[in-house]
Amino acid sequence: MMCRTIVLMVSAACLYAMPACARTPAPENAQVYFIWPGDGAVVHHAFWVRMGLRNMGVAPKGTDVAGTGHHHLLVDTELPANMDDAVPNDRNHLHFGAGETEARIELPPGRHTLQLLLGDKDHIPHDPPVYSKRITVTVK
Amino acid sequence: MRTSFVTLLAAVLGAAAAASPYAAGAATPAPDNAYLYIGWPNDGQVLAANRPIRVWFGLRNMGVAPKDIKFPNTGHHHLLIDTDAPAPGVEIPSDRNHLHFGAGQTETTIELPPGRHTLQLVMGDEHHVTFDPSVVSRKITVTVK
Repeated sequence: MMCRTIVLMVSAACLYAMPACARTPAPENAQVYFIWPGDGAVVHHAFWVRMGLRNMGVAPKGTDVAGTGHHHLLVDTELPANMDDAVPNDRNHLHFGAGETEARIELPPGRHTLQLLLGDKDHIPHDPPVYSKRITVTVK
Repeated sequence: MRTSFVTLLAAVLGAAAAASPYAAGAATPAPDNAYLYIGWPNDGQVLAANRPIRVWFGLRNMGVAPKDIKFPNTGHHHLLIDTDAPAPGVEIPSDRNHLHFGAGQTETTIELPPGRHTLQLVMGDEHHVTFDPSVVSRKITVTVK
């Protein structure tokens, strides 16, 4: 009983006093990257994005398994300023909460940036956050 | 009518193989358009001996989930080395010819002795049982020398 109370108090402290400790830990050597397209690639308006992940696994949203997360594709936007919040869900932040590792996306002609960011079961980036290099593609 | 026949057949099959909880009739259905492939190495590739070989698991129209996780249209990867793919609805063995990636991995590195080897991917559901229809890649051959 005492033990449980302490656990609850610690949990509460995590939630309210130190939000950072609520983030899901990621392996130090975890790496997310684009298998395809490569940086600078010229692509058609509809193309497959292949999401690569090393030293970590993929799990659908809501899945609480250590060392896993799911992919988010950031299109023409920068990394979220606050990594303690869930990744936004809009046309610049595509969620792959069903455990997808590839996606067919469509973009208008021109230059676009792409970046991958892994999220935990609640779409919150890990600690440390696992994100790829930001690449540029040109849609012809 | 057809549905009820299939259901009946599944029930009969299930009853016939009651010893196995994952009989053919109980296999997890997979999306019709699920597509599994080996992104790397390529079929016919010659690879250097004594160096780890990275293998990329490609999957379209389906997602990845760790073992024991039940989530619609997901499964986890299994890499078959020098062996044939199991039939639909069969539990995938776990041995040196059948590598399991139950932590949701989407790539790996392996080492192979010199010679010709076959590689093939097959998806397993949360219990390591193949889907119905089975989601299986083309079998490729690589030469290590």
